[in-house]
Amino acid sequence: MEYENRLQTDGGTETTVDSDPLQDGHRQGASETASELAGEDLVIGYRSGDEPVINGESIRVTPGEVTALVGPNGSGKSTLLKGLADQLAPDSGTVRLDGTDVHNLSTKELARKLGLLSQENVSPDSITVEKLVEHGRYPHRGFFDSLAEADRAAVDRAISLAGISHLRDREVGSLSGGQKQLVWIAMVLAQETGILLLDEPTTFLDLHHQLEVMGIVETLRDESDITVILVLHDINQAARYADHMVALKEGAIHARGSPKEVVTEELLAEVFEIDARVERTEHGPRIEPLRARHDDDETESGGTEVTDRPAESTTRKTGSGGRSDHAEGVSD
Amino acid sequence: MASEAGTESTSTATSRRKRWVGEYGPLFTLTVGSLLVVVAGGLIQVSFGAFSMTLVEAWQAVFNLRVLSNPQTWEAFLLGGEVPEMNKRSLIVWNIRLPRVFVGILVGMNLAVSGAIFQAVTRNELASPFILGVSSGAGLMILLTLVVFSGLAAFLPLIASVGGAVAFLIVYVIAWKNGTSPVRLVLAGVIVGTVFGSLQTAFFFFADDIGVVQSAIAWTTGSLTGTDWEQVRMALPWTIVAMLLALISSRQLNVLLLGESTAKSLGMSVEKVRFALSGVAVLAAAASIAVAGIVGFVGLIVPHMVRNIVGSDYKQLVIGCVFVGPALMVAADVGARLTLNPVQIPVGIVTGLVGGPYFLYLMRKQDKMGEI
Repeated sequence: MEYENRLQTDGGTETTVDSDPLQDGHRQGASETASELAGEDLVIGYRSGDEPVINGESIRVTPGEVTALVGPNGSGKSTLLKGLADQLAPDSGTVRLDGTDVHNLSTKELARKLGLLSQENVSPDSITVEKLVEHGRYPHRGFFDSLAEADRAAVDRAISLAGISHLRDREVGSLSGGQKQLVWIAMVLAQETGILLLDEPTTFLDLHHQLEVMGIVETLRDESDITVILVLHDINQAARYADHMVALKEGAIHARGSPKEVVTEELLAEVFEIDARVERTEHGPRIEPLRARHDDDETESGGTEVTDRPAESTTRKTGSGGRSDHAEGVSD
Repeated sequence: MASEAGTESTSTATSRRKRWVGEYGPLFTLTVGSLLVVVAGGLIQVSFGAFSMTLVEAWQAVFNLRVLSNPQTWEAFLLGGEVPEMNKRSLIVWNIRLPRVFVGILVGMNLAVSGAIFQAVTRNELASPFILGVSSGAGLMILLTLVVFSGLAAFLPLIASVGGAVAFLIVYVIAWKNGTSPVRLVLAGVIVGTVFGSLQTAFFFFADDIGVVQSAIAWTTGSLTGTDWEQVRMALPWTIVAMLLALISSRQLNVLLLGESTAKSLGMSVEKVRFALSGVAVLAAAASIAVAGIVGFVGLIVPHMVRNIVGSDYKQLVIGCVFVGPALMVAADVGARLTLNPVQIPVGIVTGLVGGPYFLYLMRKQDKMGEI
């Protein structure tokens, strides 16, 4: 079934997951000060001449809330995110940040308003965690400026929000993959932007660090005005932590709305080509993937690379309070 | 209470000092060590040679107050002019042997810093002015000047800069494909370097007499033989400019190390910054090539050695290069000038002989090499 492509999402005041008190509390206060990001008629491709990956889509994210982009591999979700972040210049269409075309902003101005965590990040091994997080202040500093008091405060806040105070003086090269991801998130947080774009922040992480990362997202949703857009591979994670979901398939937005609206058995069949059971729980819909669908043979079973996903335990283990009860005292 | 607070603040002060020592201690040791090498190498250079004197005599000549306190001598050395009268030892030391040491110092820091910048710009540990074709571009222009337009010799650093910049531009254009990548830059550099190297060799065939060929060889291998205050005057201003620019750009260099997409999302105009920093590196390389020819391996190895000791923070790395480059260069020139005395070999041969094995050793020791 095809959802209509509405430019407006379902509005910031609607309560989509009414069983979650934290979300309710958040939404009442929803955010006039939060930043707004919208892409209009975006055509985005990697090389001019080639078929564009995203072909004429519009997206408007609700200020102050969490929007998750989901879709199968190659559906264009990361491309859309890079387009919104102005990392890939759209072939046509505009991205507006609080009403201003991002092309009218200098790269530094944009970086003060919009932070992006890429999928893969590289750093020298010998840099310390603190120094790496300090780089997040780059857009706030002039060419000759040294680190000001405000910069240090922002770095401290980012480090404590990411829960990596104990790693502060460690060298990044000595950390595990999950710890590194938290450090990178801290760097983007230190940018102190109104909008935060995260490209698959939990992919390749162990469960512990997936929960750590999503705990940060939850904190941002509940306790700040920051507008978060993230690409997630794990539909259960998206359904649990996001206020809004946008499902993409083959470069087109297939469905958008609250998790309850988007995560349906029909959509999973159509967009992800899987048979799955969708269960309504107090944390929103939860899916249990059953098997991969094939175009030719509807009844074939087996070959289900999706069934062994860790997603199921993710939802079961966390309480609605988030990560703190889980994360404390556990380190690699 | 008060005393408690007092001890607390001293203990935080101690821990801060400890952290400071932990962070900057290696750099401090490195700079002091390098200074010692430079001073020792310099003293050896001024003491030995065709006109031999004892170390004490050399010391006395170096610290001859009549020379040091006379503004006229400094004017002569730094601005060019009549050298005032002084005794024979001081004259030899100050007019012949010391300038060679000073040129070595300038060449060493220029090459090291140039290599360090190129390594950050390309995010590749194997980058250096030599690898990226800058040296061969500058060298070709110098040869052209010496063999064909010998009247223009006074403008060598500028001509060398032009050659280096043109070579690097060609490399950039070849590597450009919706932006550049470290690997494409290095590959393009090797291609351009090879072509320009062939052209250099071709020039030898057109040179009329053997003297020109010999001096051309000295240029292409890098030599400090016969350098003078004139070379110091030639290289010094450019060196100061390049070193200052490199030092104040250290944060940009650090952010470049995080990769293009991160640098861009942090608000850096990556291509602009890369281009500007490459300009600084070309200037530094050209200033050294103009006075000493193409000295190999220094630009590759010094940043590497320093990085192994102080880590990859460019604030420290650039400072380290400013000191270790001269140390390596002065020490190598001692070898070049004195080992086969009275025959002097080009210093580039010594740096190559020392640098090659060191690099091999690094390759064997480190599992992965290439990306910083």
